[in-house]
Formats: sequence, C-alpha cells, structure tokens
Amino acid sequence: MNADMRLEHDWFPAPLPDNVVLGAGSWVYSSYAFRHFRSRQPVAVRIGCDTGIYHGTFFDVGPDGEVAIGRYCALVGAIISCNSRIVIGDYSLLAHEVVLADSSAAIPYDRPAVGSIARIKRGDAPATVTIGDNVWIGARAIILAGADIGAGSIVGAGAVVDFPVPPGSMVVGNPGRIVQRSPRSATS
Amino acid sequence: MGDEGFGDITGNWDYGELPGNVRLGRECWLERKASFALFRSERNPGLILGDRVRVYTWTTFNVEPSGLVDVGNDSVLVGPVFMCAAQISIGQRVVISYNVTIADADFHPVDPEERMRDAIANSPAGDRSRRPAYVTRPVRIEDDVWIGIGAIVLKGVTIGRGARIGAGSVVTRDVAAGSVIAGNPAAVVSEAQP
Repeated sequence: MNADMRLEHDWFPAPLPDNVVLGAGSWVYSSYAFRHFRSRQPVAVRIGCDTGIYHGTFFDVGPDGEVAIGRYCALVGAIISCNSRIVIGDYSLLAHEVVLADSSAAIPYDRPAVGSIARIKRGDAPATVTIGDNVWIGARAIILAGADIGAGSIVGAGAVVDFPVPPGSMVVGNPGRIVQRSPRSATS
Repeated sequence: MGDEGFGDITGNWDYGELPGNVRLGRECWLERKASFALFRSERNPGLILGDRVRVYTWTTFNVEPSGLVDVGNDSVLVGPVFMCAAQISIGQRVVISYNVTIADADFHPVDPEERMRDAIANSPAGDRSRRPAYVTRPVRIEDDVWIGIGAIVLKGVTIGRGARIGAGSVVTRDVAAGSVIAGNPAAVVSEAQP
C-alpha cells in the first residue's frame, strides 16, 4: 500500500494501486473504482493528463490486463473488464453504463474462476479493444474484443461493437452496423 | 483490506441480517448489502442461493411478495437485476455478466386504459391494492448458461443448458440447449454442437 497514492477527496479508505499512473490535471472519483482490480502489470492503468474518471466507473482488470487512456477524456460510469489490453485515445467521451470488455460474458477477476469459465489469457488474439482519438460512445454501448474504433467516430447508445470501425464512422444497433462514414463531410 | 466501516459494500457484512426466508448455501459471497434492499418476498423460501454463489455489487434482487429467485451452486452474479413476481430459477455454474435484466412479468398492463389506471394506483400516494393484475410467466435458466453483458431476458423464457447469450441480446423466446444467440431481437448464431 502506497500512502502517497491516496486521493485527497476519497471517501473510500484505500490508496490507488501502485501500478496506476494518473496524469496531471486528471480526476478519479474514488479508489473504489479499483475494488475488483487485480492487475500485476508494471503500469496496469495509465491515465493521461486532464481526463475525468467519474462516479460509477470501474477498472475490473485481471492479472495480465492493461488499460491506457489518453488526455481530455471523460468516463462517466463505464465498466472496463479485461485481462488483455484496452486503449482509449485522447478527447474520447464514454457515456453512462458503457461496458468495455474482452469477453461477452465478462466477470471480474478478483476470485478464482469457477467451472469452465473461459478466461482470456495474455497473447490470445484478438482480445484487445482499441478506441481512437475523439470517439464518442453513447450510453449503454458495449465494446468487445476485436473492436478497433477509428478516430472521430460515434457509437450510438446501446450499440454492440466487436469489429474494426473506420475513422469518422457512425455505428448503431445490435449487432452493430456502420450507418455513416465521415459525418463531417456528409453535412457539407 | 483497510475497509473498516465499509463492510456493507465489500462483502464483510453479517449475512444473518438477511430476512428469514433467504436460504444461503455455504461459502457465499455477497458484496453489497443493498443488493437485497428491494427484496420483499413473502414466500418461504423467497430466495435461495446455493453453495459458493458470488453476488457482485451491481446485482439487485427486486422481488415482489409473490416472487421466488432460486440460484444454483457456483453461479456468478455480476450484475443482474432480477425483476421477480413469480419465479426465476438459475441453474448451477451460470454466469450472468454486467448490466443484465431478467424479468418474469411486464409489471404493467399492455392495454393503455388499464395502464393509466395502473399508473394512478401505483403513484406514491396511490392505493396499490387497486393495481390491475399483471401476467407472470416464470423464467428458467439452466446449468452452465452464460448471459452476456447488458442482455435482457423477458418473461416465460427458458434458456437451455450450456447456451451462450451474446452481449446486448434481448431474449423473448426459448433458447435451445447449447446454442449461441445474439442481437436485438436475439437471433441464433450457432446451433448446439453435437
């Protein structure tokens, strides 16, 4: 336990894990976000500068898991559940009740697996989730292994995405489908 | 773990405080006491959790006086919201992921006139004894089923042994054992493997 890693405003009596790096000007609502966090990677969660991690967000990251979040992002209650790598670019917005996970029936990794529950192991491809810069993810969207969402895209509320999405796209529905590319050019 | 005073949200609370009609198996772990705040079954038992059942913080047992939820051994409840007025049965080794809803009734009438009467009777100062009856149909989820993130399972559905319910699925019909379904509305992705 690293006393230096306590958040000044924290209501939950725990430090941030030692392997979490929080950039200048960033905000995490509480160490409670790491209640199910079990990653043993040297830098398990890296959060860039000026990013807000707000109430209800959780990092349910397994022993091999890594999460990198850029700068000027806002996560207002997303659940990140993985034992692989999840990357979020700069300026991205993740709405309420979004889940990013490397398996569709994801569970936290804080207790021994029961029965035959498949656990994602490091190196199992394609377990990664990549969200580019300036991506806007609507409420209750679910982003799964195989998703690689290009810069500037919009994911509609409740959409399910587990496939590559070119930059500037709009994706909606379950199963997710790309309904528009480069929305900026479409309005010009 | 340094969570003194926070046992109610870290699984370190006295499970003996649960109502007498809750039957707990051995070695259960119940992370958040408030998961049971809306449990008001008057049946006995009204809730059965088998051995080694794990109930994470996102779970809610919203069980009406007439409801019974029965969960088998070794099941993992990450984030189901049980809306139960009759019976919801969960088998053994079932995995229910984040943000899942399972309901055994619609809880309000389909007919618009009746629904308006229901809204009035169900208001804060209303007379709930005047609420129109609603249709309930039990939900059964068999052993070794996995229910993906954000799925919704509605009344009368039986999900057969070992089936996989994809993330975000809306399930209104029975699912055959061993099959994989996904989407809204949920469609079969693959049949049972022989």
